[in-house]
Amino acid sequence: MANSTVIGRASFIRGRVSGDGDLEIAGRVEGDVAVTGEVVVDTSGLVAANVSAARIVVRGAVKGDLVADQVLLVEAGARVVGDLRAPRIAIAPGGLVRGHVQTGAAGPARPRAAVAPARAVATETKARPVVAPPVVRAVKAAPPPPPAKVVATKTNPKPAAPARPGPPPPVVPVLKKGTKAVQKKRG
Amino acid sequence: MASTVIGAGITIEGEVTSDEDVVVQGTVRGKLVAKDAVSVEQGGAVEADIAGGPVAVAGTVTGNITSSDRVDLQNGAKVIGNVKATRITIADGAQFKGNVDMDV
Repeated sequence: MANSTVIGRASFIRGRVSGDGDLEIAGRVEGDVAVTGEVVVDTSGLVAANVSAARIVVRGAVKGDLVADQVLLVEAGARVVGDLRAPRIAIAPGGLVRGHVQTGAAGPARPRAAVAPARAVATETKARPVVAPPVVRAVKAAPPPPPAKVVATKTNPKPAAPARPGPPPPVVPVLKKGTKAVQKKRG
Repeated sequence: MASTVIGAGITIEGEVTSDEDVVVQGTVRGKLVAKDAVSVEQGGAVEADIAGGPVAVAGTVTGNITSSDRVDLQNGAKVIGNVKATRITIADGAQFKGNVDMDV
């Protein structure tokens, strides 16, 4: 009891909570929570933070990633939006979770972008007809490059602009219009 | 029954706002605002301005204390900062450096 911390129902903490000991949250916490003991988010608790602890029990609402060194319990009535990671995870009936769930040894803070393609490759090589999500993720990950190319092509004509005695460079839209006009004239 | 307790070994960096009692046994850096009583216990450290109802200090406070009620600096307390309250007591053995403003 000596090392136990309680954030009461009518309390609000904005910032970082860290240290040794247990933490019971019945109020609101925004920021980061990193303690060595057990974190309990009560039914009235509202946490908008990444939480890391040895044990995490959620009965309230959490928006953020939960990382436990031992156990992570999402109990009935809990609402979690974020990723869960712990060697052991339990989600009780009535517990709401939206996010990635991963059991097993706690690795480094989820290198999501790196992990997803790797997993997609793994599933492909094993030729497993398993769950689609990894593939979907890979597909989702693919699109971003094209816009970059578009931007590049758009920015390329820029050098043509200085030929005109037009407005100074900072105004990008005008430049774009100008360059288009130039292209049209040339075409 | 203290509603919010910041236990020994716990550090909060940021803002603590409470409509109820706050007991500090650990460390608070930033700002501490409570509508009700604030108690900084022995071993507790607050590096922040405190605003609240009755404030009792037996630990360390670096920052200004403003109370709508009273401020008690108990034996063993170490306070560096200004204190503003209608009633103030400084116990024998308390260390204090700062201004006192008893707004009569």
